[in-house]
Amino acid sequence: MSACIKMITSIGHQDSFLKENCWEHLVPLTNETEVISPDYKSYIPPASLRRFSPVLRMALTAAQVCQNSVEQPFDAISVGTSLGCLRDTEKFLQTFITATGDTLSPTAFIQSTHNTIAGAISMALGNHSYNMTHTQNSLSFETALMDGLLCIAEGKENVLVGAADEAIDFLNELKPTVISSDLPFTSGATFMVLQPQSNTNSGKTIVDCVVYFNQDIENCIDQFLANNRVDKSAVELVLNAGNIPSNIGQKQIEYQQYTGLYYSSSAFAMHLANDFNLSEGNYALIVNHQQEGKLGLTLLQ
Amino acid sequence: MQIFITGLGAISCIGQNVEEHLDALLAEKSGIKKGIHPYSQRYLVGEIPLSNDELIAQFQLKVGGSRTGLLACVAAKEAFSGHAHHPEIRTGIISGTSVGGMDISEVHYRNFMENHTHDVAQYSEHSSGNSSERIAQELGVGDFITTISTACSSAANAIMLGARMIRAGKIDRAIVGGTDALTEFTINGFRSLMIFDEEWCRPFDESRKGLNLGEGAGYIVLESEKSRRISNSVALAQLKGWSNASDAYHQTASSPEGYGATLSISEALKVAQLHPDAIDYINAHGTATPNNDLSESKAIKTVFGNSIPPFSSTKAFTGHTLAAAGGLEAVFSVLAIQKGYLFANLNHKNVIEETQLQPVVKTTKVERVRNVLSNSFGFGGNNSTIIIGEL
Repeated sequence: MSACIKMITSIGHQDSFLKENCWEHLVPLTNETEVISPDYKSYIPPASLRRFSPVLRMALTAAQVCQNSVEQPFDAISVGTSLGCLRDTEKFLQTFITATGDTLSPTAFIQSTHNTIAGAISMALGNHSYNMTHTQNSLSFETALMDGLLCIAEGKENVLVGAADEAIDFLNELKPTVISSDLPFTSGATFMVLQPQSNTNSGKTIVDCVVYFNQDIENCIDQFLANNRVDKSAVELVLNAGNIPSNIGQKQIEYQQYTGLYYSSSAFAMHLANDFNLSEGNYALIVNHQQEGKLGLTLLQ
Repeated sequence: MQIFITGLGAISCIGQNVEEHLDALLAEKSGIKKGIHPYSQRYLVGEIPLSNDELIAQFQLKVGGSRTGLLACVAAKEAFSGHAHHPEIRTGIISGTSVGGMDISEVHYRNFMENHTHDVAQYSEHSSGNSSERIAQELGVGDFITTISTACSSAANAIMLGARMIRAGKIDRAIVGGTDALTEFTINGFRSLMIFDEEWCRPFDESRKGLNLGEGAGYIVLESEKSRRISNSVALAQLKGWSNASDAYHQTASSPEGYGATLSISEALKVAQLHPDAIDYINAHGTATPNNDLSESKAIKTVFGNSIPPFSSTKAFTGHTLAAAGGLEAVFSVLAIQKGYLFANLNHKNVIEETQLQPVVKTTKVERVRNVLSNSFGFGGNNSTIIIGEL
């Protein structure tokens, strides 16, 4: 399953929104890092903006500029999120735990479900097509992408694929018992338009994306490259998270030094791969091994 | 390419396996009653009368974790019984959930807020993706795993994705469906929306006031022809059609004319290559909220015109089990075909004035049920339809 990237954009802790090439503005993150927000007012009506949590604002804005880049409405929307709308989830927990009267405000509950993101996109764009939300821990973006690639294989022509997650202060409670990482918790949204391969498309091609569970990582990479008839020596750039074999790729870059810690951050690695100047015939490989036992491999040309 | 259904598994307030569900459906026996937990006792709900420890012991589960995950393991294990891991069959697990491990998180978060102490390790099961990974551990299969979270249409969407991945040759077999435990979070959520009925819910009745919540899990096993040649499994029915469409109208309410629902029903018929006349029974979403049932009725009328097939909602048996609903109702759809029954729409007295649609009010034996259309609609205007047919 393959597709071309027509357009890709990200909102997060890097200055990457609507930039010609996201590599030019990259800086390693510090612990005080914050989201670099665009002027949301240009993309979201005031009434919605007041109600929407950061993850909804980021995702909706990124999706909106993706829609602006193509004439036709998307014929499918597939979104990955690892932990969903955390701010509204926590807010609704607090709402009912502290409630004294008989009535509760429903806003936080309504906006707490994982598919609030994809649903809000369909509503903002007036889009009636296929609308899916995947959540699979550190592989949430890859599973959403695989669905998007499947849509292209089924004949769809403008597919919106994206990932979004948001940090809340409470996550720091989970360190180090549940989550051990030196990276700061961060937020990010990356959205892209996938189209079938054609001569008129200038963007990168997603050659393949596969997820593996509880398997030997080196074997998986070998098998994945072999299935796509790609020689190891043609892998110019590896964007990785977590431990990976050192003998793969001419150049390895850990992408989470730029994204910080959120589990769908491999979507930003896709943005990096898209904007990287590969030599003719070479490939970029995203190796997402953020969590033990879960491996996502995405190959771009 | 044909997609065969070769396994069924179900747990809800009306039964702890598929056979008990069939018995309850035939006996017209609802499982909805006054809640047993401090947060549920104010309401009529469909709770499974087993604690988490009892679930683990009774069903000899290998893994612990959230109630959502445990219910998933019980139903997935039943669906997969008689099947086995095989190196030449790539098996996927595609499961829907909306609450994930919230049943655990909400208890510890309350402690955190009230006493500033909490057992942090307990949050490790919060992530919705974990419930699907627990199924993989329990069954010892899982070449592909994803969790769909589209609220009340999650299981139907999981079934649809399983079929699409098999058809594309990405996997050969899939355990698909959904799971949701009843939680304080969801009870309060639906309370805040003010769409509970204090009495038994009455789908498609003029006097309907709202829904009763339930909990449960329902899974089916999908297989390609290639997979069946290797597994020698017995086919029970076929998955013929599927579709998902967006209503794009409101975050929680359906459009008055049922636009998204009309799209998903029509498209599923197209995928199945079936004329509307080939549908012998509709298992409706029918939550018994004033909005859903009116909107769904209009969509059914738009697609089926003057020859509307027998239809009913089984939500008055199980309660609305949210992300599990489409899984349980897929199991009921297979049973309708296998056994030749149309299931009762309990508690129905008067048709909705505006639409005049009369659901099936008694569980009825019929000669033949060729194809069943099952709807699942969720928050965010997420509308899904699957069509299950005889072999």
